[in-house]
Amino acid sequence: MATGKPQIQQLARQLFTVSLVDGRLSNEQVAGVLAYIEKNHAANAVALLNAYQRLVAAEVAKGVAVVEHSGPVSEATLAGIAAGLTKRYGRPVTATAKANPSLLAGLRVRIGDDVYESSVSGQLAALSASV
Amino acid sequence: MSTVIEQIEQQIAKLSNKAVRKNTGIIRTVADGVAKIDGLSDVAYNEMIQFPGGVIGIALNLGTDEVGAVVLGDVSQLKEGDEVSTTGKLLSVPVGKELLGRTIDALGNPVDGKGPLGAKETYPVEKIAPGIMARKSVSQPLFTGIQAIDSMIPIGRGQRELIIGDRGTGKTTIAIDTIINQAKINKVGAASGDPKFRPVYSIYVAIGQKNSNIVRTIAALEAAGALEYTVIVAAPAADNAANQYLAPFSGAAIGEWFMENGQDALIVFDDLSKHAVAYRQISLILKRPSGREAYPGDVFYLHSRLLERSARLDGKGSLTALPIIETLAGDVSAYIPTNVISITDGQIFLETDLFNQGIRPAVSVGLSVSRVGSAAQIKATKQVGGKLKGELAQFRELAAFAQFGSDLDAKTKAQLDRGGRIVELFKQPAFSPISIELQAVTIFALQKGYYDGLDVKKVTAASVSIRDFFATRKDALLTEIRTKAALDKDIEAKIVAALDEWKSTYSA
Repeated sequence: MATGKPQIQQLARQLFTVSLVDGRLSNEQVAGVLAYIEKNHAANAVALLNAYQRLVAAEVAKGVAVVEHSGPVSEATLAGIAAGLTKRYGRPVTATAKANPSLLAGLRVRIGDDVYESSVSGQLAALSASV
Repeated sequence: MSTVIEQIEQQIAKLSNKAVRKNTGIIRTVADGVAKIDGLSDVAYNEMIQFPGGVIGIALNLGTDEVGAVVLGDVSQLKEGDEVSTTGKLLSVPVGKELLGRTIDALGNPVDGKGPLGAKETYPVEKIAPGIMARKSVSQPLFTGIQAIDSMIPIGRGQRELIIGDRGTGKTTIAIDTIINQAKINKVGAASGDPKFRPVYSIYVAIGQKNSNIVRTIAALEAAGALEYTVIVAAPAADNAANQYLAPFSGAAIGEWFMENGQDALIVFDDLSKHAVAYRQISLILKRPSGREAYPGDVFYLHSRLLERSARLDGKGSLTALPIIETLAGDVSAYIPTNVISITDGQIFLETDLFNQGIRPAVSVGLSVSRVGSAAQIKATKQVGGKLKGELAQFRELAAFAQFGSDLDAKTKAQLDRGGRIVELFKQPAFSPISIELQAVTIFALQKGYYDGLDVKKVTAASVSIRDFFATRKDALLTEIRTKAALDKDIEAKIVAALDEWKSTYSA
């Protein structure tokens, strides 16, 4: 039974691998993993579920581009961003809009660990860091 | 004000409208100067990571699920959930002649209050050492100004010579004397106008030392006029372990600039024992497997890749390294000392017993060696000092019989007497390096028997008197010895005449 942090992490990674079908998350597999954890690892369920959740969230984030904007952004723009990122990363990407007035203008796109900065506030921050 | 406006306008012009891609992560934990980060999927080993508040870190552990980064700055402002990003750069430090006379920290920031460095170039802190074909054999001498070393354990430009001994045996003093001697030689060389003269610039890396010691060292260099040829890289004991770990590599990068630009440099690592301890601390916090004495398995590689960057390059310059290792109770067979002994091209071993007997510098001639040897000696030193090591070895063997003074044969007594005079001759005060031409004259006087009529205890004073005499009245002869670097019959005759003149006026 996994008790230490490294063992829990390893088990979570194994369960995450099982959750993938053809390289993508499967809802059925995820449900099966959750049932398995509840039945067989109740003692360490919280730690194991937290580790598993982080891995699943990271995988989901790779397929969803969060487009932060301060002004209006059209559906066509979102579609174009999604298409561009799908081509770049070689996997299906959907784009969702999120209002962020602090950007002043422009866009900031987050997908997985990558951030594409094209906002005025980002450029001003870069300017102040370099001066 | 107009300069500031121009600067801002230049920065605005540089800004591009294109989207800038960053790879980001989230801090999960920060403890003991190490941050564990989720994300950073594209980070490279040793890449600089940007933390909030302008703090920089370097990625040292690339794990499956997290990245371990050493934070090179104030960790008190960091918290869980903060976003960090990669920079796409390796850690670099400013390099160039603008650093001479300055004191900087491990990241290249000036700490001496003398304003910005004004350096135009940067070099990466971690760099692969020059390969085999880029190197050239060590054949040019690097004079320490210490008679015991220059005559019997000579060091060449591009060599790595370890200085090893217990605490308080004079290791740092030898290094500082060497730096001061380079400054003296640089000034004489510059004044001579010789187009072939190559100055040696010095880098002193202080690792894990008390701030008071570093201040004292800087003051000594400044008083001797050596600071203008020296760069000080300071990572004192109060600095975090990451800065102490990086400081020697930063110093090596500064030295490599001189080497790559056809100049000669000397770097002192004071000391690598504390460097190994700092690396052990970082490795343990990063949960890397520990080995002997809790050091990580790659502690040998830590020092080998550092010291291999010191070399003599073909068609370029050289970087000579004087690493310092502190032993405990004279144990040279301990882990870190044996590691560094096997890496370097020789060692200068300082003994506590000799130091306590008043033999300073406390160089143990028997245990010290220079693997470059006489290839790095000028002919003058070879002529006068070639047999000294053997004579001292004989003296040490016979010293046990000294207590039976009345029962020894004449030959044994003569060898003991001779050895005793050599030991007295090599005593030298701190921060007083002696030029090679004066060393040649001093040892020549020994070989010709000018000290034989004196009490052994008065040999040191007599040698000081000889040097003063030559420095004040025979400057032309000294210049001739220095430029010819050998003692031909004509020069020998002049030295003998000068020594006779000295002897006629000297009273012990």
